[in-house]
Amino acid sequence: MASAGSGGGSVPPSGGSRNPRGPDQSGKTKAPGFQDAKALELEGEFKTRHIGVLGVLAWVLFLHAAGIYFFTKGFLLTRMVLEDKSSCEVLPFDDGVAAMPTGKGCWHEKSFDKAVVIIIDALRYDFTVPFVPWTESEEATLFHDNIPVLYETAVNNPANAFLLPFIADPPTTTLQRLKGLTTGTLPTFIDAGSNFAGTAIDEDNLVAQLHKAGKTLVQLGDDTWQALFPGYFHENLTHPFDSFNVWDLHTVDNGVNEYLFPLLQPENRSKWDVIFGHYLGVDHAGHRYGPNHAAMAAKLQQMDKVIRDIIAALDDDTLLVVMGDHGMDIKGDHGGESDDEVEAALWMYSKRGIFGRTSKDTLLPPKHARERPVPQIDLVPTLSLLLGMPIPFNNLGSPIEEAFAGASGNDWSNLVAVNRLTSAQIKRYQREYAKVRGAGDDEESFALWSAADQEFKTASKSFKSRSTAVRASYDLYRKYQRQTLDICRGLWARFDVPSMIEGVALLLSGILLLVLYARGMNVDRTELTPQLLSFAGIGAGSGAAAGASLALTGVTEMTLIDLSVLLAAAGSMIGAFFSMLKKSANLSVPLPNGMWGWLAVFFTVSQSIGFASNSYTIWEDEILHFFLTTFGVCAGISSMRQKQTTDRVLGVYHSVLFVILGRVASFSRLCREEQMPFCRSTYYASSTSSISAPWQLAIPFLVTLFLPSVVRSFYVGSKSYEGAATLWIGFAFRLGLFITSLFWMLEGADDGEWLPLRKETLKSVRTFLAQLVLALAFGAGTGAYFYSKPCVSVSVSTAQEDPNAPPAPIIAGQQQQPRKTVTILGFGNLYGTRFFFLVINFALAIILMQKPMGQGAIALLLWQILSLLEILDTNALTLSNSSIGPVVLGLLGSFYFFKTGHQAVLSTIQWETAFIPLSTIKYPWSPLLVVLNTFGAQILAALAVPLTVLWKRPLQTHDRTTPGSNKLANPSTKLLSDVIQAVCTHILYLATINLATTMWAGHLRRHLMLYRIFSPRFMMGATLLGVIDVVLMVFAVAGVRWSTTSVGEIFGW
Amino acid sequence: MASATPLSAVNPPSSPSQAPAEKPSAPPVNILPSQLAKVYSYVHPVLLLTLCAARFQALVQDTVQELLRDLPWLALLQISYVVLCLPPAGSTQAIEAGSDGEEKKKAAPRSPSSPAVALRPGKPGYRRKQHTGKHDWSGAWAKLMPAFLSLTLTSLLATPILAVLLVLFGAPLTTHNPETVLCAAHMALLSATALVYVHGVDGYVWKEVWGIARPVDPVWGSALGTGLGAWFGAIPIPLDWDRPWQAFPITILVGAYIGYALGSLISRTPLLYGKRIQFVPTETEETEKKTN
Repeated sequence: MASAGSGGGSVPPSGGSRNPRGPDQSGKTKAPGFQDAKALELEGEFKTRHIGVLGVLAWVLFLHAAGIYFFTKGFLLTRMVLEDKSSCEVLPFDDGVAAMPTGKGCWHEKSFDKAVVIIIDALRYDFTVPFVPWTESEEATLFHDNIPVLYETAVNNPANAFLLPFIADPPTTTLQRLKGLTTGTLPTFIDAGSNFAGTAIDEDNLVAQLHKAGKTLVQLGDDTWQALFPGYFHENLTHPFDSFNVWDLHTVDNGVNEYLFPLLQPENRSKWDVIFGHYLGVDHAGHRYGPNHAAMAAKLQQMDKVIRDIIAALDDDTLLVVMGDHGMDIKGDHGGESDDEVEAALWMYSKRGIFGRTSKDTLLPPKHARERPVPQIDLVPTLSLLLGMPIPFNNLGSPIEEAFAGASGNDWSNLVAVNRLTSAQIKRYQREYAKVRGAGDDEESFALWSAADQEFKTASKSFKSRSTAVRASYDLYRKYQRQTLDICRGLWARFDVPSMIEGVALLLSGILLLVLYARGMNVDRTELTPQLLSFAGIGAGSGAAAGASLALTGVTEMTLIDLSVLLAAAGSMIGAFFSMLKKSANLSVPLPNGMWGWLAVFFTVSQSIGFASNSYTIWEDEILHFFLTTFGVCAGISSMRQKQTTDRVLGVYHSVLFVILGRVASFSRLCREEQMPFCRSTYYASSTSSISAPWQLAIPFLVTLFLPSVVRSFYVGSKSYEGAATLWIGFAFRLGLFITSLFWMLEGADDGEWLPLRKETLKSVRTFLAQLVLALAFGAGTGAYFYSKPCVSVSVSTAQEDPNAPPAPIIAGQQQQPRKTVTILGFGNLYGTRFFFLVINFALAIILMQKPMGQGAIALLLWQILSLLEILDTNALTLSNSSIGPVVLGLLGSFYFFKTGHQAVLSTIQWETAFIPLSTIKYPWSPLLVVLNTFGAQILAALAVPLTVLWKRPLQTHDRTTPGSNKLANPSTKLLSDVIQAVCTHILYLATINLATTMWAGHLRRHLMLYRIFSPRFMMGATLLGVIDVVLMVFAVAGVRWSTTSVGEIFGW
Repeated sequence: MASATPLSAVNPPSSPSQAPAEKPSAPPVNILPSQLAKVYSYVHPVLLLTLCAARFQALVQDTVQELLRDLPWLALLQISYVVLCLPPAGSTQAIEAGSDGEEKKKAAPRSPSSPAVALRPGKPGYRRKQHTGKHDWSGAWAKLMPAFLSLTLTSLLATPILAVLLVLFGAPLTTHNPETVLCAAHMALLSATALVYVHGVDGYVWKEVWGIARPVDPVWGSALGTGLGAWFGAIPIPLDWDRPWQAFPITILVGAYIGYALGSLISRTPLLYGKRIQFVPTETEETEKKTN
C-alpha cells in the first residue's frame, strides 16, 4: 500500500455516487430518504456489535482472572499478619495475670542488661567448625578452619559459650531472614497485610519491643535494617552502609569496626543497650569469588580477629551473639532452600558463665550442621527472655536449651518456666490467628498443650515427683511448640497442587479458545457474538449452579464460591467451544500461512519455552531486543521484495529506523542482581542510587522538542496533519510534555538542593504540575477524543488551479461550467490518525509517570510503534489480518518494560512514582499510578493494537448504488471484526507468555531460584495479563467506537 | 495502492498499474563442472570446519589475536574456493555453469536477452578476451581479477555492514569493538566473497540478495547459512553454564562456520537447488527461519 502522496484524493463532483457529502450539499445537510435511514441502521448495528465485542473481552478477562486465581491460591500461600503486640504488663496465660512489676525483666527474670548482636552475613556452619571429611577423599578447602574462635570458646569454656547449627527458613535472602530473626515467624512469599509501599515490619518484633522498653538501640552495617525498622535506632550512634555493592568486600566491614569498637570502651558503655552489627564481607566474598577462594579465607580470618577483639572488650553484663543469617551455595550465592544455603551458625557468649548442657552428649558443638540444629526463629524467644523482654506476639520459635539450662545443666525449673511462657504465647497467637482465618484449633496440639499443662500443675503441687514431672512437662511444652511450628510451616509453605493444576487447565483452555476465536474463524466475528455469549452464559450459569449444589451437598472440600467459579469458567468455555465448532464452514485451520504468521508463532513459542530456564528469564530484555531486531530485519527483507518503489523505499526506511530505535532504547538499562557482572545500569545516576543523573534531566526537554514533531511527520506522510491534529499534537501534546519536563526538572532540583526553596513549596508546585498534565491527558484528552472530527481537510477548487487533478475526462458541457474538484486531505489514513489520539493521550500520562530515562524510552516506543505501523502498511499486513503486528506490539511492550527501569523482580517496582501527582496515598489512585508506571510500556503498546488494522485502512462505506440490497455488507462491522481479531491475537501472545511462566513456576516450585526468578516472573506475567485485558477492553476497543463513529458522521457508513 | 482508490474507483486510469514487467532473475549458479572443482567444493566446507575446530581452543584463549591470525588464511581458502570452483562474474560460464545438464536449453535463449552484466563497463576488452580466451594467462586473469575485486568489496563493504548488523542485534557498542569487527570480517569472507565473485555488482542480483529472494545454489545457500548460523549461534550466550566459550563472538562465529558448511552442502541437493524462499504464499518452515 503506497502511502506517500496518496493523501489527497481528488474527485470531480460528478465522478460517481461515492463522493462524500460534498460542499454542493451545503455542509452537513443529510442525504435524503432511505440513505439516511440506512446509515442510522448501520450505525446502530455497529454500536450494538461493539458492545457485544466488549462483552466477549470481559468474558476473556473473567477466564484469565479465574485461572490466575486458582493457580495463585495453590502457589503463593499467604500468611495473615496480625497487628497484636505482646506487652510487658500482660502475661500470655489465659488468666492474664499481671506480670511481675520489678525491674528485673518483664515475663521472666532477665539474665543480661545489654547485648551485642553480630550478624556475619552468610556465615555457613561448616566455616566455624573444624573440618571433618564426610568421605575419605574429601579434603579441607580454603574456607575451612579460618574462624576457629567460636568453636574453641565453646569447647574450652562450655559455660561461657555454645555453638549450634542455625537453620534458616527459605527464601534465604537477607531481608526475609532479618524478618524471621526479629519476629520469630515464618516467611511466605507475600505477607498479606503488609503496607502499600514500604518494607517496614508491621508485626510485633524484638527490635520494636526493645525500643518500646526504652532501650537505646544502635545499628551498624547493612542498611537493610533501616528499611525494616525505620526510626527505632539511635540516630547519632547508628551507621548504616549500602548493602548493594557486592564487589566491595571491605567498606561495610571496616565501617562497622570503626564505629563498633569505640562503643565497647568502658566510657561509652552507658550510651547504648543493644548493638546490632551486620558484617557483609563474607557474603560479598561469596558472591564475588565463591567460598573456595583466598579472599574468603582472608575475610573469615578477619572476622575471627574481630570476634576475639569484641570478646576482649566485653563486660560481664553484656551478652554477645554471633550468627549467620543464611549460608551460601557452592558458588557463593543464596536465596534458595538448598542445605548449604540454610545452614548458618549461631554462637552465644557471655563472660558470666551461665550456659549449660542438659546431657554430656551435647557438650561439644555438632560436627555437622545436620546434628542438633535449631531453627533461626528460636533466637527470638531466647533473646527476648534473656534480656527480660516479652516474647513478640507472632513468635513460633522455642527458647534454646543451652541458654537457660544453667551452668550445671540441670536448672529444669527455669527451662520449664521459659518454655511454658513461650508455649502460652504461641497458643495465644494460634487462637488469634484462628479467629482471623476462621479455622479451628488443631486437636493434636491441643492435647499436647493440655498434657503439658497437667504435668506442670502436678509438678508445682506435689513436691515428691517434682523433678520427673518438671522434665516431662518441659518435654511436652517443647513438643507442643515444634508441633505448632510444623503445622504452620505446612500451612504456609505447602503448595496446593490440585488448585495449581485447575488454574493451569483454565488458562490453557482459555488459550485454545483464543486460538480458535482469533486465528481459526473465517467469518465476521461480530456476527458470532450473540451466539457465543449466550452459549458461554448458559454454560457459565449451569456450571455455577452445579458448583453451588456440589459444594452445598458437601461432595468436595472446596468452598462454594471457588467451586462455582471453577465450574462456571469451565462451563462457559464448553459452551463457547460448542458455539464456535457448531458450523464447520466457519472454521479454518488455525495455523499460520506465510512467513509472517510463522514468525509470530516462533517468537511467542520460543520465548515461552525459554522461561523454563533461569538464564533466559534473567536475560529477557536482551532476548526481546534480539527478537525485535530479527523482526526489523525480516521487515527490511520483505520490503525489498515489494514491487512498488514507494512501498519498497518506505518499507526499508522504516525497517532500518525500527531496528535502530530499538538499539538506541537498549542503552537504557536497569540490571537485576543476577545479570551482574555482565550488565551496567544506566537508568539512574549510579547503580546504587535511584535518582536521575543531572544530564538525564535533559531527556524530557529533548522529548518535548522532538516527539511531537516525530508524530507529526507520520501524520504529514498521509497528509493527515489537518483538523484537530494540529492543535492536539502540535500544541496540547507538546505543552503537556513541556510541563512534564518542568516537573522532572524541579524533582532534580529537589534531589540536588539546587534551589533555595523549601521542600514543601517545591513539592506542592510539582504536584500541581503533575496534576495539570494528567488533567490534560485524561480529562481534556478524553473529552476531545469523544467529540473530535477526523484529521481531514476538505477544500473545493477549480480544476485548472489544482495540479493534483487527474487528466480531465472529456465530459460534454465542460466548457460551459468551470470544473469543480473536491480535495480531501488526509483521506488515506482516516481511521488510524483519528484513533491515534487515544494513544497520544496515554503516552503523555505514561511519560509523566516515568523517570527521565524512561521518558526517553517511552518516546522511542511511540516512534517505534509508528514505524511498525508503516512497515505493516507497506508490506500489506494491515488488511490481511496478519498476526505479526499484534505480536510485535507485545514484544515491544515487554521490551520497553525493561527499558523503563523495571525488571521481573519485586524490588524494581518504583513505588515512589505514586507520589508524582499526589502528596499522600489515596486509594484507588496510588496503585493505579504505580501500574501506569510499571506497565506503562505494555499499556501503550496494547492501545496501539487496533491500529494494526486501522492504520491507513481505506474508507469503506456500504454500497449506496444498490440500496437495501444486502443487509450483511456493513463495512464497519468488518472493521470491528478485524479489530477484535487483532486484539485477541495480542491477548493470545500475553496469555501464552503468562501460561508459560505459570507452568514453569509451578513445575519448578522446588527450584533453587524459585523465589528469586520464577515466582516474580509469574507474578509479573499474571498481573500484566490482567492489566492489559482491562486496558484493551476499557480503552483500546472501546475507543474504536468513537473513532469509527466520528469517521462515519463525516463520510457516511 | 493509492488510498484514494475507493473514491476514484470509477476511474480506471488512476488505479495503480502493475509494477513494470519483472526482469528475469539471474539463474542459480552451480559449481564448475570440472572434476577438480567438484571434489574441492566438497573438501572446502570440511576444511573450514576443521580449521574452526582446530583453532577453537586458541579462539577461546585469546579471541582477538586468533581471529586476526586466521583472517588471511580464511581469505586464502575462500579465494582458492571461488577460483577453483565457481564461475567469475560476467563470464559465460556463469550462465553455462548454472545451466549444465537439462537447464542448458532454457538458459541458452536467455543469455542474449539479458547479458550478464559486465563487471567493469570501462574495460571493453575484458569480455572479449573471455570469449576467445584460450590462453592460460587470460583465463587466470579473468578469474583472479574478480577474486581480487570480491576480496576488496568484501572487506570494504560487507564487513562494516555486518559489523553494524551485529551491533544492531545487540553486540556491545562500547566494548568488544575488535571482536565485533573481526567477527564481521570472518562472516563477510564466508558469505560475501563468493557472492561478489559470481555476481559482481549486478544491482538486480543484489536486490534479490537483500530480499533473500535468490534461487538456492551453493553460493547463496552458504551465504544464507552463514547468517542463519550466526543467528542461532547467539542462543547459548545467556545460559549460566559459565563456560569461557560463551563469551561474545565465539558462538556466533562457530555458528556462522557451521551454517556456511551446511548451507553450502544442503543447497546442492536437488530438493532445494533452484528453489526460492517464499514470504507471503503458503510456504512454511523454511521461510520462518530466514532471519538475520
